[in-house]
Amino acid sequence: MNLDSLKKKISDLESNAKNQFGSANDKLELDNIYRSYLGKKGEVNLLLKSLGSLPQEKRKEAGKLLNTLKGVIEKNYALTSSLLNDKANLSKLEKDKLDISLPGFSSRKGSIHPVTRTIRDVCDFFERMGFDVEAGPEAEIDYYNFEALNVPEDHPAKDMHDTFYLNNEGLLRTHTSPVQIRTMEKSEAPHRIICPGKVYRKDSDLTHTPMFHQIEGLVVEEGASFAQLKGLLNDFLTDFFGEEIELRFRPSYFPFTEPSAEVDIRWKKNWLEVLGCGMVHPNVLKSVGVDTKKYSGFAFGLGVERMAMLKYNIPDLRAFFENDIRFLDQF
Amino acid sequence: MQFSKNWLKDFIDIDLSTEIICSQLTMAGLEVDGYEDVSSKITGKDSIIKLDITPNRGDCFSVLGVARELSVINNLKLSLPNISSIESSFKDEMKVKACAEAPSYFGRTIRDISINSKTLPLIAERLKFSDQKLIDPVVDITNYILLELGQPLHAFDRDKLRGNITVRTAFNKEKIRLLDDQELVLDDSCLVISDEESAVAFAGIMGGKESAVSASTNSIFLESAFFKPSIIRGKARRYGFQTDASLRFERGVDYKIQEIAIDRASILLRDTVGGRFSEVTSSTLKNQLPKQTKINLDLEKSNDLLGTKIPQKVALRYFKGLGFVTEILKNSSISAIPPSWRYDLTIEADLVEELARLEGYDSLPQLSLSPVYKKIELNSQSHLSDLLSAKGFNEIISYSFISRDDHDLFGEGVAALEVKNPISQNMSVMRTNLVSGLVSTFLHNLNHGQDSQRLFEIGNTFSLKNTKEVVEKNTLAGLMNGKVNEDNWKEKAKDISFYDLKGVVQDLVREFKGPCVFENCKIDFLHPGMSSLIKINNKIIGFMGSLQPTYLDRLGLNEDIYIFSLDLEGLQKNVSSSYKEFSKFPSSSRDLSFIVNKSISSSSIENVIKSAAGKFFKDIEIFDVYEGKGIQEEKKSIAISVSWQSTKQTLKDADIDSAVERIVNSMKKELGGELRV
Repeated sequence: MNLDSLKKKISDLESNAKNQFGSANDKLELDNIYRSYLGKKGEVNLLLKSLGSLPQEKRKEAGKLLNTLKGVIEKNYALTSSLLNDKANLSKLEKDKLDISLPGFSSRKGSIHPVTRTIRDVCDFFERMGFDVEAGPEAEIDYYNFEALNVPEDHPAKDMHDTFYLNNEGLLRTHTSPVQIRTMEKSEAPHRIICPGKVYRKDSDLTHTPMFHQIEGLVVEEGASFAQLKGLLNDFLTDFFGEEIELRFRPSYFPFTEPSAEVDIRWKKNWLEVLGCGMVHPNVLKSVGVDTKKYSGFAFGLGVERMAMLKYNIPDLRAFFENDIRFLDQF
Repeated sequence: MQFSKNWLKDFIDIDLSTEIICSQLTMAGLEVDGYEDVSSKITGKDSIIKLDITPNRGDCFSVLGVARELSVINNLKLSLPNISSIESSFKDEMKVKACAEAPSYFGRTIRDISINSKTLPLIAERLKFSDQKLIDPVVDITNYILLELGQPLHAFDRDKLRGNITVRTAFNKEKIRLLDDQELVLDDSCLVISDEESAVAFAGIMGGKESAVSASTNSIFLESAFFKPSIIRGKARRYGFQTDASLRFERGVDYKIQEIAIDRASILLRDTVGGRFSEVTSSTLKNQLPKQTKINLDLEKSNDLLGTKIPQKVALRYFKGLGFVTEILKNSSISAIPPSWRYDLTIEADLVEELARLEGYDSLPQLSLSPVYKKIELNSQSHLSDLLSAKGFNEIISYSFISRDDHDLFGEGVAALEVKNPISQNMSVMRTNLVSGLVSTFLHNLNHGQDSQRLFEIGNTFSLKNTKEVVEKNTLAGLMNGKVNEDNWKEKAKDISFYDLKGVVQDLVREFKGPCVFENCKIDFLHPGMSSLIKINNKIIGFMGSLQPTYLDRLGLNEDIYIFSLDLEGLQKNVSSSYKEFSKFPSSSRDLSFIVNKSISSSSIENVIKSAAGKFFKDIEIFDVYEGKGIQEEKKSIAISVSWQSTKQTLKDADIDSAVERIVNSMKKELGGELRV
């Protein structure tokens, strides 16, 4: 072999390689072509090995030429490879096209009961005002449900509550007010507490269920006033309904508050009773040993179902305890 | 109580619309339930006003009482209708005797009445408007006075009374047949009106049958008495009824109105049934009458409490209008003696309420309460609910009382708290767990086409300890059935299994402090092979499992239902308070597969591996359990990935190899497990 025939060979290889690369259909074919030139047994390597047959002084130049060839093939390979990749990606995109309007594989949705939601809403407001959430037993005794709340035995006020009595001589609490007493018994004033929970009254018709939920609030501190009670409940109702609500306070009667009031809100033209409240009766404060010279207090209670019915526009009280999933799923 | 609006005009010269009157009453604390416009044959345009009177305002159970409130509100003069004493024509020899509980007793005999006369049209109409049935002219008049003045009266057939009348406590087991024919057995806590032979009336509650006025009555004895609230309270209720009289006496009747009432009734009787009137005979124990005590009011303090600036002059006007006897004390204080018809005024706070009432609650100022800073604890109950809701569970709230049958089915023989006076037998036992509520809700929804359900409830459960002590526990329980997910257009969802249930429970208990273990259990309503106790810190806190097949049969179900229950009482929330450094070195893991007897639980295998894996042990994961072809009948293959990691270095293969060797040896020695190669 002489230098000229080598040059001819190199130029042939270069154009052959370019042609072959150009006609490769995929990466595999391309790699095979690449190996047939630059692999261990490839054409370029074979030529390199044949350099020994050239005269000494020509070898250097020949080597240079071969290296250039190698570079050209590498460059072509890289170029073609990237072209093929682009082509492959394009066809993948074409092939992978989905009907994105088909539904996704989502999982079932659960729900939180509207009574629980309402309790959370109410408690959130009062917790932000610095109230502690307290709980008490539902199976109560007469002392906490009535006596300590200034309702003596046989008092007509007991008729306001149709009580369920239990076979252990206890009763089911008729309101959440016993929690006031239990809290004041176990810790010292001042107090700001809010107590949500189930209560029971022997009553069952369109507008009454024998079990329902109440939230009781109590503030006992120096200077607690009726004006603050009015302000607090006004702020609360605005927060709860998310808008200014027209409300009115009117005198009422609860044995454990004096003065006592009922709060009505204006709802679709009518006045609707939503809250009972008042200044804590001195007898109640005395029964738990609160210094009435130093502290005064006010308390309030609301029916959770009533509030939830208003907020979520639920027409039937009994829906809360029927637990129909078609109802629950809406919350 | 309901009454004709025009009746008010007998007492006050009021010329306001019914709507305004009702609004005034409501805002003064006498809640108006509603009103209805009617046309009166005698007085023309009229309305029936319905009041819902709170127990403290016994004084407003009469037209007089309501008129009195309106007179103060509108600054009108209050006058009583024609009440002059009637001239008597004879003296009845019968004597009456009051007692401590009935300190004032007035009576009079009226002879030769015409019981068949007709009740006066105005009286008849007003009684009708008050929803009072017409009986006969005598009874109608007593009812009329009760409504008008609030004083219950009773008329006896004079000829049926034997000897003198006394008011006394009943004898133990004394029997009396009342007007409505019910026979009561009394005891010495009851008060009766008695002649010389027997009780003739249940005092202040209802008259006796034997001495009742009838169509053949010729003479009557009219009683107008004052009975103390304390002796009447709860008595009628104890026997399961209430009367217009007991309602008023137990709330308190004006103790100065008895004589006025008997005079007023006499005039109406004379005008209706005629007859000859005896002298009024009476017995009064003055020192036993209620005492109205002086109450001092610190006006400045009251103004502070209400946020008002009511001047002394105005306060005095309010109190006088309400019938108080007032006196001005030094330092802005007032002393006031309440009127004889008010039983709800005993302390200063009561006077504050009167001030507030007349001032108008609505016109009292309001102040915002300032917030107080406090740390808000995360509510773990809300957190658990949110977690379950995100997993597709619907929260339910079911009644705390269940039926005896459901308790027998699901109560596990726990001693239950029972309701003595249930609303129905289906609501007579306090639930000892939440299972029956979940199952009934499940059945309800199943009947409405919901075949795959996930439900949970958080509520209290009740049981009895030593027959008296109630153990009340806040409990979380859930139910699931059907598919793991909803079917979709690509694939059908799998049926849920015990391990889906266990997964939910594990996610829940992770929220609590302490190691959790599961142990086999025996609970009647759960499948013995597919149920488990849940323990945290070695204490049983709940159970889970699939419903027993016999229970499924009984409920008519042909698919599995899974239930869990956790006792939330005493569990501590697992909150990490500080960050823990994690290892920066890679972990190494090995997959090992063992052949063991089928009866060997995976938790015992895990325990053996954990204790043999050495100090760099990090984690263990079971990734396959296989029984069947290629494995001996009584064996199973369990494939486990064990990983190791050090916080100080990258572990060498040799470390791992020796740990694996220890594991293989322990498995063989302790559980007879063979490494599968």
